[in-house]
Amino acid sequence: MPGLLKSAFSRYWGVLLILILWQAWVTLGELNAIVMPQPIDVVVDLVTNPGIYLQNGVQTLALAAGGLLLGMTLGSLIAIACWFSRLATGMLVPLAMIFSSVPVVALIPVIARLLGYDIRTVLAIVVIVSFFPAFVFTSAGMRALPPGSEDLFRVLGATRKSRFLHMALPAAVPSWMIALRLAAPSAVLSAMLAEFLMGQSGLGYMFRAAAGDFATERAFGTSVIATAVSVITFTLTLRAERAVNERWR
Amino acid sequence: MSGSSILLDHVGKDFEMDDGRKVVAVEDVRLEIGSGEFVALIGPSGCGKSTLLRMLAALEQPSRGRVTVDGKAPEELSRNHRLGVAFQDHALLPWLSVEANIALPFRIANRSVDRARITDLISLVGLKGFEKARPSQLSGGMRQRVSIARALVLKPDVLLLDEPFGALDAVTRRQMNLELQRIWQEQHISTLLVTHSVDEALFLSDRVVVMSGRPGSILKEVTVPFGRPRNPEVMRSAEFHALEDELTEALEQRGVAA
Amino acid sequence: MIRISRQRAQDVAYGAIGILAFLALWEYIGVNQLAGLTWPPLSTVLAYLFDPSRQALFTRAMSASFSMVGAGYVAGTLIGVVLACVAHLVVPLREGLGRFSSVVHSIPSIALAPLFIILLSKDWSGMAIATLNVYFIVFIATQSGLAAATRAHHNVFTTLGSGRLTRLVRLEAPAALPSIVSGLKYAVPAAFIGAIIGEWFGATRGLGLLMVSAMQNFQIPLLWSAVLLTSAGSLVSFGLMSLVERYVYARYR
Repeated sequence: MPGLLKSAFSRYWGVLLILILWQAWVTLGELNAIVMPQPIDVVVDLVTNPGIYLQNGVQTLALAAGGLLLGMTLGSLIAIACWFSRLATGMLVPLAMIFSSVPVVALIPVIARLLGYDIRTVLAIVVIVSFFPAFVFTSAGMRALPPGSEDLFRVLGATRKSRFLHMALPAAVPSWMIALRLAAPSAVLSAMLAEFLMGQSGLGYMFRAAAGDFATERAFGTSVIATAVSVITFTLTLRAERAVNERWR
Repeated sequence: MSGSSILLDHVGKDFEMDDGRKVVAVEDVRLEIGSGEFVALIGPSGCGKSTLLRMLAALEQPSRGRVTVDGKAPEELSRNHRLGVAFQDHALLPWLSVEANIALPFRIANRSVDRARITDLISLVGLKGFEKARPSQLSGGMRQRVSIARALVLKPDVLLLDEPFGALDAVTRRQMNLELQRIWQEQHISTLLVTHSVDEALFLSDRVVVMSGRPGSILKEVTVPFGRPRNPEVMRSAEFHALEDELTEALEQRGVAA
Repeated sequence: MIRISRQRAQDVAYGAIGILAFLALWEYIGVNQLAGLTWPPLSTVLAYLFDPSRQALFTRAMSASFSMVGAGYVAGTLIGVVLACVAHLVVPLREGLGRFSSVVHSIPSIALAPLFIILLSKDWSGMAIATLNVYFIVFIATQSGLAAATRAHHNVFTTLGSGRLTRLVRLEAPAALPSIVSGLKYAVPAAFIGAIIGEWFGATRGLGLLMVSAMQNFQIPLLWSAVLLTSAGSLVSFGLMSLVERYVYARYR
């Protein structure tokens, strides 16, 4: 048991430090609860009102998951279509590079104006945010082939279809996992951001409503939940990526 | 005896460099490989011996001359899945098991996988018990065995070996030479082996062809007199050493030795 | 004289066709109002953007936003590199610093923005979020870069009796440079995102403020102009970092 505690401490001392600093700051600064709640108040709110957190959390998570699935499917399918056409690749890859080097969340206001202030805009944002990593990494992965495999498939008289099925597609799997690891946490965060700006429900909206009512413990509780969801998403996708790499390399 | 007869008919190959200069890699090579014959091609690095093999594998087009297999273009051979090639870097797919890598040519040829054939080959190359292992879990020598088994799995008409043991240490290499000769003994496919090593060429082939570099052309041909099957003792005979010296000397001519 | 290969020329041509097609599609949708009134043609946006009467407005917004981006970028880089070096040198702290960083990175920006408004001020919270975004990327990149030196090179330094600092400066830092520069490249859009989000929470100037107020007041060309300027700023900086990256890769790898 002490060994377990020690290793937990060596991993999470940073998180502990945040909590201690937070408490110390509230206590020493003698801050009003409207400005800054105490950690304990936040915990109390989390424990006494689990329903409202759960309901909004599930909604945000469902939106993020749906958008992630849609965006990554779309991105992967278009990358696959591009593999069959040099012209399409040549035209789309530079465009995708441009889009992945600009701040996509800056598009939220534009999309909000296009689609309206509701859940569709939130979904659209998550789809867009997930699309680009999937497209860029799938395209790159289908071209990052194991050494010699292109020669091998030509020598074996492989058709385009079997080069695709047996060479390009499996070769893209590790890159696709990177795309998933990058896209999943940002799907959750951008869903919240979109909800905050124009949603009518979900964690992001809940945060805005709570902050508007000066219910700071509720607002901080929402942040804690959102952070936890994001950390968990990141950890899970990282584990999945490692497991796949183990099997794939 | 099985296999096809191969003809490289006054073949030349140019490459264009990035700066637009033209480099003649191979010039006026004439080489015939009879049905069921094992020919070894030796020469210094960059002499164009791999280029010749790649032309035979339909991976490069000759700039001049003609390459034919039984009178037909090599493309036809690969299109009909009659070509077996083992590459220097083994080119195994990292996500497939040993078994699945050897089965790959069946899948590419769109044929049903002959399980018995794969089992036979795995034991022939001495990898029993490693069927489910993935390439990253194998040693360099074991990977090359898988690569050779994969080249043989469809019973090809032509076997091309591009320095298959180039990356192995001397002891493993010697061992692999013994095994390759044992495997080949059972199949007698028309074979072209490209190698740096004079004794590997002498031990394995019926005929050794020496190339010189820049531009690559044939310098000398030597018929290997030893009968088959060959024991490692052959390599200690005076005749073997004499041939070895002769070939090494040919390689050193015009300062082409690597 | 280096000739551009045909392959490369074809890539550039296809890329140019793709970008032109995208711009043409944008214009076409706008002119024919296929997406309603909220999708203006590109020409309208550009005309609005380059109208001399709005020069002052855009210059002011740009200088405000871009200086926040720049300050956040520099601060984030410094913090990221220093913390990664600490994590690299002080082994007991390594694991915890990694966790700490990923937790901090996972706190949603919308929760951080109000916090920074309390801690700093309305106008500096954009810079603070940009700093956090950049710091995380640079921290991860530096950490993996510092571990990139090969065992053989370490052995050379060990047999030469090198001290810890010499090893860091002469071996690990140069080996880490390619990874750090790649991180810096990907940190560019993250810095812009941070600054813009920060401004959405009540900054008194900047492109992010323009976006939100244009969105709420249905000033469509203004909204698109602000988005376009932000994207252009990010794209140009990203392009510059790509050039630096190419140089560093050629020199240090």
